[in-house]
Amino acid sequence: MASATKSLKIDQAILRLRGAAVAPFLTGSIAARLFWLSAGWLIVALVATAFLLTELYSHALDTSLSQTLDFHLETLISHILDTGDPASPDIFIPDPRFSRSASGWYWVITDDAGQAINLSPSLTGSVLPIITVPFNADKYRTAAMTDEFGIRMRMVEREVTVKGKTFHIIVTGSLDEIFRLVGDFRGQTLIVLGAVGVMLAIMSFIVARIALRPIDKLGQAIEHVREGESSSITGSFPPEIAPLAEEVNELLRSNAQIIERARNQVGNLAHGLKTPLAVLRNEATGNKTRLGEVVLSETDKMTTMVSGYLDKARIAARTAVVGRKADPTIVMLRLSRVMQKINPNRTVTFGRPDASLPWFRGEEGDLEEMAGNLLDNACKWSKTQVAVSMMAERNESATMLLIRIEDDGPGLTEQEADKVLQRGVRLDEKTPGSGLGLDIVKELVDVYGGTLQLKRSSLGGLLAELRLPSARLGRG
Amino acid sequence: MRVLVVEDDQNLNRQIKEALTEAGYAVDVAFDGEEGHFLGDTEPYDAVVLDIGLPQMDGLSVLEEWRRAGKSMPVLLLTARDRWSDKVQGIDAGADDYVAKPFHMEEILARIRALVRRAAGHASNEITAGSVRLDVKAGKVTVDGQSVKLTSHELRLLSYLMHHKGKVVSRTELTEHLYDQDFDRDSNTIEVFVGRLRKKLPEECIQTVRGLGYQILED
Repeated sequence: MASATKSLKIDQAILRLRGAAVAPFLTGSIAARLFWLSAGWLIVALVATAFLLTELYSHALDTSLSQTLDFHLETLISHILDTGDPASPDIFIPDPRFSRSASGWYWVITDDAGQAINLSPSLTGSVLPIITVPFNADKYRTAAMTDEFGIRMRMVEREVTVKGKTFHIIVTGSLDEIFRLVGDFRGQTLIVLGAVGVMLAIMSFIVARIALRPIDKLGQAIEHVREGESSSITGSFPPEIAPLAEEVNELLRSNAQIIERARNQVGNLAHGLKTPLAVLRNEATGNKTRLGEVVLSETDKMTTMVSGYLDKARIAARTAVVGRKADPTIVMLRLSRVMQKINPNRTVTFGRPDASLPWFRGEEGDLEEMAGNLLDNACKWSKTQVAVSMMAERNESATMLLIRIEDDGPGLTEQEADKVLQRGVRLDEKTPGSGLGLDIVKELVDVYGGTLQLKRSSLGGLLAELRLPSARLGRG
Repeated sequence: MRVLVVEDDQNLNRQIKEALTEAGYAVDVAFDGEEGHFLGDTEPYDAVVLDIGLPQMDGLSVLEEWRRAGKSMPVLLLTARDRWSDKVQGIDAGADDYVAKPFHMEEILARIRALVRRAAGHASNEITAGSVRLDVKAGKVTVDGQSVKLTSHELRLLSYLMHHKGKVVSRTELTEHLYDQDFDRDSNTIEVFVGRLRKKLPEECIQTVRGLGYQILED
């Protein structure tokens, strides 16, 4: 039971691993988690970058405007000093923007009382707002204000004293131009950073796939084991999942050990029970009393039960075996040799198959058990000849291994063959083993999903056709 | 015919010995591998019944040792482990046949009979020499179709000579193969039995080869 649960768990693990490879965006899959995590982080980082860049750019432009306005302020002061009269019409700034009304570019010189005594042509007919910020130690102040046309502007103001008189010089420049530039810059930045974001997202998707590839590989390796193409997980894995592969191998090893132990115990039990049974049976044989008869019939029942349950235990122990396969040519050669030695009066011929014959997918001992019992029966009933041959048989879904064992004995009629293939039926009670041997063959054939057919041989006797699942040639 | 039974179960050993003795064999027994190996190595047996699971030295090792030492007597393996891999292993170790436990005693008798017959080169259960016919399976002797009554000792002697017909068999060989270890061997008894047999069978059947032994001629 424990081993069956284990193999179920492995199956589920395979399904999960395969799910990750097929649909990486499923919630909970590692690929999806990696992708969404990196995408979320990217969005935050890119938005912050765009914001910061725009701020820096905007600040730089504002600073540059302030410097320009300071320069114009110095120009006006030097003009005032040159002319000696702040109201002189010769005072001007050679920039056409100061001539255009409602441009946001203005200058004005006021007297101590705040009366304008000279101003730029652009300011004709309008009044500038008053800066609310106090002067600093250099009699200088600056602020962002809005004129009466709604244009935002940077204003700088300086208090100067010429020939004992105090004047205020104010120069302004439009901030709207800067805002426009910053807006354009923000748009371009978003486009560029968006493109970078998309590229990084694609990268992270690809990286996730590459990073997860070993897991996909592990899934395939486990599948190979389940299909019987290898007995353990092979290949190198990155250190993150190498322990997992090692654990699965450990599980397979302990599974094999449990089966081996169970099998040994079954063998010990068989040896322990069969000798006393043989003694009881022999002692009762020929004893014509009631006791003798009862002992004889009961030991026969016990023998049948012991053999039957031991076979069942062996079969149950082996259903969980994964990753085994056997070369049928070696097995059949060995069995033929043994049967020939035991039956020197018969000729056991072995038709050597071609090299492309597939292997049997399963335990070597089980193949021996199935073929051995059929061969034993064939030798028992044959007159002089037994023939063994093997071939690959392709049907629509799979390649089966076909083993044919035939003899020149009396054979079976169709009805007899049908009857023999039913469980537990023995045609000739007097030939020991003929029933039980076939029983274990039938059970094993069922376990492996194969078929057993009994036909008439061209040699005249019985032809047993055993079809079994095959494994890919020579791997592992 | 002399047979060695190596089986550690006391009861089973006794049963096999009784059955074989009743069938006319001289039987020696051993209860562990080492004793069995020693007997098989030193005494001439016509067949051996050997259990695989033995204390001190397992059956397969005993068998391999015998074969390595050139002992070629037929060996019937007794095994509870009836997996084919066990059978293959047994045959490859040098066994001639196997019987899985639990078995019918007739099975053992039939296999031993077949092994002895095969070792002597006879294909069927009936061996003939002139007008004398021996049915090995039934233990019956006829002369010209007429049944002849023989005692078990006379039958053993005739059976051994018939199995080895055409060959000169010495008195020593006869003693070794007709009596078990514990029998008080006296070669004079052989002469007595040959004399009795000659009275019951056609006189020319058993020839004396002076200084060598006895012989039943090939047809």
